[in-house]
Amino acid sequence: MPTRDMRQPLPMGVGSLTRGWAAVLALGVVGTVVGIVGYAVERTQGMVATGMRDLGTMQGATWGIYIALVVYFVGVSFAGITVAALIRLFRLDKLRGVARMAEVLTVVALILGALAIIVDLGQPVRGVINLFRYARPQSPFFGTFSLVISGYLFASLVYLYLTARRDAAVLARRPSRLQGFFRLWAAGYEDTPEQRARDRRVTFWLALAILPLLVIAHSSLGFVFGLQVGRPGWFGTLQAPAFVVLAGVSGVGHIIVLAAIVRKALGLGKRIGRDAFGWLGLFLLGLLATYLYFVVVEVLTIIYQPGVIEQRLSEALLSGTYAWLFWGSVATLVVPFLILAWMALTRTWRVGWLVTSGILVNLGAIGKRYLIVVPSQTHGQLLPYGIGSYTPSLVELAVTVGLFSLGAVLITLFMKVFPIVDLETEASTELEEVSA
Amino acid sequence: MTHYAMAIDLDRCQGCRACVEACKIENNTPSAVFWMYVFRLEEGTYPDTSISFLPRPCQHCHNPPCVKVCPTGARFHRDDGIVLTDFDRCIGCRYCEVACPYGVNFFNWRKPEQAFADYQLAMDDPDLAAVTGGLIPPYRNPDLDELQGDEQRRTAGSAHYKGVVEKCTFCVQRVEKGLDPACVVTCPVEALVFGDLEDPNSPVSTYLRGRDQFKLLEELGTDPSVIYVGGTPPTPDAREIERPMTGVGNANA
Repeated sequence: MPTRDMRQPLPMGVGSLTRGWAAVLALGVVGTVVGIVGYAVERTQGMVATGMRDLGTMQGATWGIYIALVVYFVGVSFAGITVAALIRLFRLDKLRGVARMAEVLTVVALILGALAIIVDLGQPVRGVINLFRYARPQSPFFGTFSLVISGYLFASLVYLYLTARRDAAVLARRPSRLQGFFRLWAAGYEDTPEQRARDRRVTFWLALAILPLLVIAHSSLGFVFGLQVGRPGWFGTLQAPAFVVLAGVSGVGHIIVLAAIVRKALGLGKRIGRDAFGWLGLFLLGLLATYLYFVVVEVLTIIYQPGVIEQRLSEALLSGTYAWLFWGSVATLVVPFLILAWMALTRTWRVGWLVTSGILVNLGAIGKRYLIVVPSQTHGQLLPYGIGSYTPSLVELAVTVGLFSLGAVLITLFMKVFPIVDLETEASTELEEVSA
Repeated sequence: MTHYAMAIDLDRCQGCRACVEACKIENNTPSAVFWMYVFRLEEGTYPDTSISFLPRPCQHCHNPPCVKVCPTGARFHRDDGIVLTDFDRCIGCRYCEVACPYGVNFFNWRKPEQAFADYQLAMDDPDLAAVTGGLIPPYRNPDLDELQGDEQRRTAGSAHYKGVVEKCTFCVQRVEKGLDPACVVTCPVEALVFGDLEDPNSPVSTYLRGRDQFKLLEELGTDPSVIYVGGTPPTPDAREIERPMTGVGNANA
């Protein structure tokens, strides 16, 4: 590759555009455009272009795949900041290599979660204003939007910014096209011992503050459903904890997949070692075991001695309309559990199997989110409106594709403007080189 | 204090759905939207079946789940007991709709001018246009355009905007003028009675006195302001017959 002005290539593939990267980006852009077109159709025709319809006489589901995606994306955000915070709080140095990408994943997932809320609103512009202007903390939606966006996303961004400043300072000393950007990011930070100590102190307390914020945010998402006494299948104390745990499952699964891709693309076999994957695998195994326990509890509760409506709901779920999705989702959670348990017992962590598990648990998580949102609306009416139905329309599927693609675009773009794996171990040598 | 309430006598109701029509005309609700709705229910197995009717306006709960969950305060509970939606503030998240156990909320899935397309009227027909003056819907209640009540919020009528949630308002635009809701005045057998529950001499108070009553899904603690007399709550066996056309077509159709 010809290097202009005898410049050294930047570390972690920053600034050097490869063919594989361009292909991923192009695919992501195409998907994003599909989503934008889908949303344009939804805006011009009205939300009649979606498969959602009113509850009651219209026998539809008024919340559909969009709300399932909101829950899913906000769930994915869980892992990033947890992993990052745990590394810093418990000094899990082996996981350092995935901390940055985990933080980026959190930020991107939260942006997607916010967008998924926006596409679901009948009055999106008004929504962005009124959700803050007339915010009511009594509504569980406050936790989902106002708190998650203004608190959680902001805290995560600050965390990402602070923890990455050192790398920015290192890179700002090298001549490159992105030098100005790194200098802006570093913002006067020069990695002196005092600055380093201050940043460490700030990020420690920020990590400590983010952990409870995270439990609150994900619980509030569970409360959106769990506090509704008028909707069988939703009302229950298990919703909030189950949301937190499933959020962890999907998020850690995502990090494993992302870490494997980055490791392969940048040739970081040593930096992100087997033992890092082992830690993530163990983490995922623990969360998955907890969640499967919740599933058993949930199923037992709805089949042991159900009320009339609960029985209708559980039949639809276990052997009726939604059975394929329910058992499919359970399978995509049980199989990775068995894979991970086997690897944990034999102490051999294979990246390929871990990635398979990561992908499967995410499919399972999306399925479970959908099953929380939809069946209680179509089969959970307390007045004799009859059984409803809901099928996502093409527009909704296009927007779904668009959201996932936008996420891929954001992460691939970030990879080329900033090191997605932090340079900390190399930092000292880098500084010596520069000063020499 | 005032507490507006509605008594519905199920022994009198004959399921004619005149109240449903009156509501649609008074409030200009779009097609497939039923702020007032009458279930025609069948119970039992052939030949031992029975038919019953159950009018279902918004229950105007005193402890309304929809008001609790609204993230912007667009859905609110007035001191006089009426639960209303501020169409200027609603963001269309439809949380009220999933929170409500009675299924009384309707979302404006289409633009107001498209929302009446299913009425099968040839709006382009010059003869029709001459009568309606090109208005969609053909009759528009002018009272609906005014802000209502002490709070002066846009709460009356239907289909002001696409993408907001609406429901029965107890005809707030009529109640403000001292009139009864449209469904109440239309009912040919006077099965619906409206008035102030706190006033012992109001029509609703005198009607309820000494009569057996129940409220829908009372066990949920919503404390509805709609009180049923005569008849019984629908059993789990109750199934609906003779449904009206309730689907919203595709916008392209």
